[in-house]
Amino acid sequence: MPKPDLREATGAPEPLLPIEKKLIGWSLGAGLALLALLVIINRFIPLN
Amino acid sequence: MSEATIPVQAAAPPRLSEDLVAVGLGLGVFVLALLSLLGADALGWLVTTSVWTDPSTSLAPASKAYPSLGGVGSLVVTYLVLTAVLSASAYLLGDDIRRFAIAFSAVFAIAYASWFVGSWAHLAAVTPADQAKFGVSWSLKLTNEGGFIVALLAGLVIANLLPAFADRLKSAVRPELYIKIAIVILGAFIAVTMASKLTLASSLMLRGLAAIVEAYLIYWPIVYLIARKGFGFSRELSAPLASGVSICGVAAAIATGGAIRARPQVPVLVSSLVVVFAVIEVLILPVIAQTFMSQEPLVAAAWMGLAVKTDGAALAAGGIAQSLVQAKAAAEGIAYQPGWMLAVTATVKVFIDVFIGVWAFILAYIWTNHINPRVGAPKARLVEIWERFPKFILGFAATFLLALALALGTTAGSSGKLAAAIGEANVLRVIFFVLTFFSIGVMSNFRQLWQDGFGKLAALYMVSLFGFVVWVGFVISWLFFAGVKPPLAS
Repeated sequence: MPKPDLREATGAPEPLLPIEKKLIGWSLGAGLALLALLVIINRFIPLN
Repeated sequence: MSEATIPVQAAAPPRLSEDLVAVGLGLGVFVLALLSLLGADALGWLVTTSVWTDPSTSLAPASKAYPSLGGVGSLVVTYLVLTAVLSASAYLLGDDIRRFAIAFSAVFAIAYASWFVGSWAHLAAVTPADQAKFGVSWSLKLTNEGGFIVALLAGLVIANLLPAFADRLKSAVRPELYIKIAIVILGAFIAVTMASKLTLASSLMLRGLAAIVEAYLIYWPIVYLIARKGFGFSRELSAPLASGVSICGVAAAIATGGAIRARPQVPVLVSSLVVVFAVIEVLILPVIAQTFMSQEPLVAAAWMGLAVKTDGAALAAGGIAQSLVQAKAAAEGIAYQPGWMLAVTATVKVFIDVFIGVWAFILAYIWTNHINPRVGAPKARLVEIWERFPKFILGFAATFLLALALALGTTAGSSGKLAAAIGEANVLRVIFFVLTFFSIGVMSNFRQLWQDGFGKLAALYMVSLFGFVVWVGFVISWLFFAGVKPPLAS
């Protein structure tokens, strides 16, 4: 299987599209919120 | 991990997927183990290796029901049965039986020899009492699971110094098949281990949920952003790279590549990078865990599941971390019940794996509708979630639930029989782990890092992994598992 040309993949930068910014922002926002929620649950129901 | 795997040169199209073969074999082992509850010891012929100073005393059959076999006899029978069964599996996977059997013979011989060497008392004896028992004045205190490290190193030597030989082994170098079979068997072992402490076990599983959030919603967007903005990589390369670093390595990269309709070579390229760095992690992180986290074994175990990429390498790291941390604790007079650390690593990893299909679908939807909406090109379909779902997890869930039901439904007297039955299955799980370690080593060709253009890719991977993923994984493991200890051995 021929390998892709890495110079092509790392060459001229493709601008970050609004949908990519949305994907990054929403993922990170949801992740941090859910993590905070799980930390809070962990405090109320501690492991024993 | 999805059903996707690193392509092995196949003689014909696969008749069954690797996941289904792994589930079939794992469930088969589980059923054979349970036959001992009915009085038929179907796995007692398996070879086991105990810590040794005199090599002739090390090997023995797993059960006393097979005394006539002896150590060497049980080794030969184990080899013959595994070769026959796995060769048939290779046929189902589209490989040539003869080519596989020859390659597997070499793989098994080297891997099991590594396991045997790892059981040498100077490597494996842990406590002063052990050292006195074996009459050795020093030991590296690796437990006999140090054999995993020996197998990995043997594989690395072959991959990097004997590439022609590594190429001849390729047919039987299938770390993903071996680890999937091991994970299915591991489900039963975890259930029996956890049945006695169900509240603790369910609490640990609940905490494993944090791993899903971390891998998909925190690691992935940050690594993708670094790849796109920091390193200027194309979308086609950045998405599989982000999945490789963030989720579960090889198969996540391949599933993502398929989802965004990348050229098939892209995820394969990322996969080779994943394997090389996973080996570096397996060699480094358990030692760090032993040095700095011996008081927090379950933090160390969760950390291995979160930080080490690919299922095989993560469970490998979990296994080594378990042996190193428990050895240090044992030397200090604390004997933890074995299996709990590995159970936490496996839980974290399996939880992460479960959602790869969903994540791949989300990416497929975004790519085919917004980023690369070509007229006439196939759009994302809901059925892709199921297609990319790692089916071997169903095998893990089945053995876990069945063994748990049996453990909870049996009396105190028969629970010992169940533990012994699953213990015999666990002998095979260990053998598949050794095969996985050796195979990962053979696949890790460090010379690839010096290939033209690979440096920038490796730099991104290194920056993301060691500058971010490893440490965030540690913080989150600490947040959820600090202060929780495995039960003490009775």
